[in-house]
Amino acid sequence: MIKSMRQPTLETLGLGTVLEIFQRGQMPVNTHDLVEQVFGNSESRGSLVISGVNGIVGAGKAMQLSSRLEQFGVGIVGLDFPGTPDGVGRQYQGLVRAFGKKRADKVMANIIQLTYDGVHLPSELNELQPRFLLEAIPEILDIKKAHYKLFRGIFPEIEIRSVTSGFPSSELGVGIAHPAFPHEINKVWEVVEPEPSPITQLFWALGLIPISVSDHWSFILDVLFCGITLAGLRYHNATNMPFWKIDKYIRKIIGPNPFRAHDVIGAKGANFLTWSCLHHLAEKYGELFRPTVDLVEHKESGQNWYPPNHFRPVVNWHLEGDEEEEFLSWIQGALFQMASLLLYEKRGHFSHINAIGELCAQFRRGILAVIREAGTDTAVRRVEAYHKLHPEAAKNTWYPSVFEEMENPEWQQLYVNAEHDGKVGVITIGRESYNSDVDSELNRAINWLKAEKILKVIVTGDFHLSTQMVGADTNEFFPALDNRDEGFRISSSWSKTARRLHNEFQVSVGYVNGKRCLGGFLELFMHCHYLISRDDAVLGMPEVTLPVVPGMEGCHWPFRKANREDWPKLLQLLLSGKSVAAGETVGWLVDYAAPMEEALQTVWKIVTEGDHGLQRRRIEEGVLKGIPLDVPLSDPDSPETEAARKAIMETVQNSCGVALPEALTIQARHSADFMTSDTCRRGVIGAEFSRVMTV
Amino acid sequence: MKEETSMYPDARIPYGTWGSSYFPAWQMSALAEVNIGQFAGESMNKILGKRGVPKRELEYLVIGSTVPWHWKFWNAPLVASCLGHRIPGYHMEQACATGLQAILLAAAEVEGSSYDVVGVLTFDRTSDSPVGVFPERRAYRRTEVLADVWDNFGFDPATGNAMIATAGKAARKYKIERKEVDELAYYRYKQYFEARDSGFLDRVLVPLEVLDLQGRLLGRVDEDAGVRAVTLSGLKAMRELDTCVTAGTQTHASDGMASLLVTTKNRAKELSPQPEIDIKFIGKTEVRTLPSLMPEAPVLAVQKLLKRTSLTMNDMVVVKNHNPFAVNDVIFSKVMDYDWHKMNTTGCSLVWGHPQGPTLTRIVIESLEEAVSLGGGYVLVFGCAAGDVGIAAIFKVEEGGK
Repeated sequence: MIKSMRQPTLETLGLGTVLEIFQRGQMPVNTHDLVEQVFGNSESRGSLVISGVNGIVGAGKAMQLSSRLEQFGVGIVGLDFPGTPDGVGRQYQGLVRAFGKKRADKVMANIIQLTYDGVHLPSELNELQPRFLLEAIPEILDIKKAHYKLFRGIFPEIEIRSVTSGFPSSELGVGIAHPAFPHEINKVWEVVEPEPSPITQLFWALGLIPISVSDHWSFILDVLFCGITLAGLRYHNATNMPFWKIDKYIRKIIGPNPFRAHDVIGAKGANFLTWSCLHHLAEKYGELFRPTVDLVEHKESGQNWYPPNHFRPVVNWHLEGDEEEEFLSWIQGALFQMASLLLYEKRGHFSHINAIGELCAQFRRGILAVIREAGTDTAVRRVEAYHKLHPEAAKNTWYPSVFEEMENPEWQQLYVNAEHDGKVGVITIGRESYNSDVDSELNRAINWLKAEKILKVIVTGDFHLSTQMVGADTNEFFPALDNRDEGFRISSSWSKTARRLHNEFQVSVGYVNGKRCLGGFLELFMHCHYLISRDDAVLGMPEVTLPVVPGMEGCHWPFRKANREDWPKLLQLLLSGKSVAAGETVGWLVDYAAPMEEALQTVWKIVTEGDHGLQRRRIEEGVLKGIPLDVPLSDPDSPETEAARKAIMETVQNSCGVALPEALTIQARHSADFMTSDTCRRGVIGAEFSRVMTV
Repeated sequence: MKEETSMYPDARIPYGTWGSSYFPAWQMSALAEVNIGQFAGESMNKILGKRGVPKRELEYLVIGSTVPWHWKFWNAPLVASCLGHRIPGYHMEQACATGLQAILLAAAEVEGSSYDVVGVLTFDRTSDSPVGVFPERRAYRRTEVLADVWDNFGFDPATGNAMIATAGKAARKYKIERKEVDELAYYRYKQYFEARDSGFLDRVLVPLEVLDLQGRLLGRVDEDAGVRAVTLSGLKAMRELDTCVTAGTQTHASDGMASLLVTTKNRAKELSPQPEIDIKFIGKTEVRTLPSLMPEAPVLAVQKLLKRTSLTMNDMVVVKNHNPFAVNDVIFSKVMDYDWHKMNTTGCSLVWGHPQGPTLTRIVIESLEEAVSLGGGYVLVFGCAAGDVGIAAIFKVEEGGK
């Protein structure tokens, strides 16, 4: 019997819990088995047909799926009208950049392009045995339905999924697999189907991120993305502020620049899709979603939102005085109201509703995390302020009661979950970068496990939304660029959280389940008594390249666990910023690295006192003497790197040169000092701060 | 006040929806670096936003400028696109009268029921004006090269004289004394600085930031750059360039834009933040005087207009003119027997410069704003224009008063 803080998102895919993965010592499904289920066995392997293959979605998904299915002998059949500009061929250079020429050629060779007239399917298709149709044709209901009928008439057993962003499954009569831009690389698919299907599970097994959503007009991503675009349009209507400037302010407060995104995706198609989603939403939900005149015009014309290059804006705009508050009401108020609809209609798991904005629409923080931080009263007041500006929106589709349940675990644990079986607990992190939300939720998860009297814990990814762990969310450091106290607070509080994994459990195991674990996440995981990893995962401390000084004890903690002769390797890791395969770090960084299933089984042995054969490495709590003052490094590529290496070396020397209780403060001070330096300001974080926050 | 007739009884200027940029002197600001048509369109959009007028209210656009600008061929529709609202419109120009004539033409569009809300947008950039190459069969090179601003200032093809020569000639005709011209110019500066320091200009002028190609700040247009305090003795000491004309008693070239709306009576109430203020068009006229006597043309136009409207100078609460030469005001005062101290009380183009197209638009805006602050009444706006032309118009502000 497994108990969890809230439902694990894996369960929404029919894949059980994360703890069960460790208990079984294997993944919940096998990719080969699922390929056979969907496409038939190797003797009669069928193909995947992507119709509308030359469109942005079709071509992108042809690349993404061909690169994953080619090794299983599943061919991709791209179907489109004759004369359609070749969208697939355009992808080739990108494939070469991603995989190298040899592999790119194989991926491309796995795609067979056929043309058809829209009425008759090409005869060659029979031999290719289509088993799964991914429909990516224009958003016109009747055409889509006729397309399905055509396929079902000839291939009655074929599984069909539509990539539609607007039409519900009930209207189309097929399942939905709605992908997110950029289609070549974005792994997220919003999935609508009565039960998790083998196709969805296969997507998961292939390393994609299917997310189960409810069957409503326009799915979560489009409500949020089209919604924020509409909010910007309404502000434009009210104030005349140009779209490019609204974009900058939306980017500052939420993250995306929706108008630029339309232009980048291709205004003609994107404008239509946004209008289509909002039009259908308005028909069902009223004025909150009614497209504005500007959107209708841009839909008709396919016109870009930004001025052409020769008319780059010359007159600047600023929000002044009360205008900033009014802007927040127009944008956040509308978004909060739309979020209330998503929650009220139970459009998806809370973590999914929250994550989709981050993973697919460039939200810096998920919409529910933003609302949670605002609190019930502020969130409701924000929507009410919006209604004063846009009274028509107040008439319906507003469910303030959903904001009154923020103390529930679904609200509280958007990114971090905990499960246990009465003896062993697992903390799962569903966000790829560490931020204050993750930190707070991690603390609550630890508290919960302790309250449940769990003494042994595994800390890992969630095997779903987070496919890697890239370190600290550098957006969190913006306030620290000007405020040393803020830098110190972040560094010391996050370090204290990390220490809880070491101090408050009898056994803690950090398990790197994704393809990389870097920076702050690696620092967090190294605080566990054991650090286990997939052997093909990449580990690293890239802070020096940003540059920042690692703030979660990375400059002394691993030294205290490693043998003296391994200290140069740790210094190399910190000062070069280069990553290493986990398999190469056994003994001085990780305790064990192996292929996924072996590693899972070892983790389980550790927490169940099985025969794992590993020695728990002791933390040296005293002063470390003899830390090398130099290691062989390539010449620094910039003055910033040189300064960062010096600062990191000083931090290592000073934090290792004191006893463990004092080291946390020493490290945090160095980290905070460096963040206020000109060097940091000139680096990646400073540049990003200037780009995003200085509007 | 007398019962007047209005030339455009259905047209109104909605109070408080106008705005002008500052007019930095030639080559003294970031405006020297931009496409002025684009700048004007974007600025009008911003001004409307600040005034609480959604740009979608605009149905038509009358633009006025005199110095060719890049892509001028596309005229008002292009400027409207830069404003962010794809509406039709046209471009007009009448040299220095452009800023007033554009307003009157917009009123005609409303009066004719073509549109309910017409935008007036005037602008010019005298900095780096283009140089044109024209085929000219009488030139030995068979080609004539013309720097649009300065060559035209320096040569009226109809008379063969420069602008400045018209001021000297008119001064001699009216026997104007240099002493009075210097005193008038000094007083005009004093009026400008008093208006600026009182905050009056903040009600009509909008500070703007100009961006470079990378989207970074190129410069701020937040002052009439180039205007500096003068002393009477300094003015008196200046070298005379022609009779009664010195560098201190004539205007300077500048850059800028100005905009306002013309609409129907009902729409004016909806668009204005103070709907009780009613601004009407009373009348307008133009005259063309004898060759090279441009500074006397405005007073002749005013005389004609007063006669046609049966109004007198005593009926006017605000009198303001475009006065590229201080001589203009002295002649006006002498002919009309009107105290020049009572004119141009918030500044004038003699002081803050002359970007040409928007000059008289700014003068109208300042005049109407001043009339509102005085409780309403008749407003006389006039000025001279290339070709020895004078233009004059009367507006009426009612139910104003603060």
